[in-house]
Amino acid sequence: MKDKKTYAVVLFKAVSYALKAEKILKQEGLPHKLIPVPKQISSDCGVCLRFEQNIQNQIEAALLNKVEIEDIITLDH
Amino acid sequence: MADIKIIDARGLSCPQPVVLTKKALEDNARVTTVVDNETALENVKRLAGKFGCAVTVESQGKGIYEIHIGRGADFNKDQDFVASCQTGAAPSGPFVIAVTEDKMGRGDDELGTVLIKSFVHTVADLGKKPDVMIFYNTGVKLTIEGSDVLEDLKQMNSEGVQILVCGTCLNYFEIKDKLAVGTVSNMYDIVETMSGAGRLLTP
Repeated sequence: MKDKKTYAVVLFKAVSYALKAEKILKQEGLPHKLIPVPKQISSDCGVCLRFEQNIQNQIEAALLNKVEIEDIITLDH
Repeated sequence: MADIKIIDARGLSCPQPVVLTKKALEDNARVTTVVDNETALENVKRLAGKFGCAVTVESQGKGIYEIHIGRGADFNKDQDFVASCQTGAAPSGPFVIAVTEDKMGRGDDELGTVLIKSFVHTVADLGKKPDVMIFYNTGVKLTIEGSDVLEDLKQMNSEGVQILVCGTCLNYFEIKDKLAVGTVSNMYDIVETMSGAGRLLTP
């Protein structure tokens, strides 16, 4: 039952950054999901935030100057 | 009403019942598969769930089950399905995950909350999904409205994963009216499911 939405993930330096970012996105009402970092990106046991790519600008704007972002990667399914 | 194709899969070993059922579904909107063991029953049920079919099971006693399957509108025959056949000395019985808390691991609650979200998401992506997930104690909080893992649980539920939620626990936390996925269950079902499990996993 997977849909064909395109997702991207925001990666952070540490779990605490991801948590901080999650709180901000929740406040802003931007849909997102905390997921383990996909294996093809890193084998570390990390977490990242997944979102639909069409709101990438909003996500970046919301986190700008608040949480340091390491990278944003588009997921291809 | 189209004819019902009947597959008699009694006496056949895994994964034959699933293979035959899948084949029959490609050409028939309605299929009834007769099986004589739980593994075949679970596999055929999972198959039907994965392919978005309606399933009803009729127990004929003596371990014989009739599985009535109605093909859904979005049936896609090219989808893959892997039957789980127990090989060698592997334990038989369903794969059960007991979620005992709304966190994963002890020590730090904030971290535990992150981990359980990751856990459920990863289980939902697993090739071999659990047959049953049981939620009790604070674990029931994962199954109610507003839970961060609700989407994943609903997806698994629609794919045939049975979700049992402890009624006493919902009651204790006064959140019974907020249950958003799964069925309210009791200690009898929970103990029976756990003791009958081939594999029992707790995050």
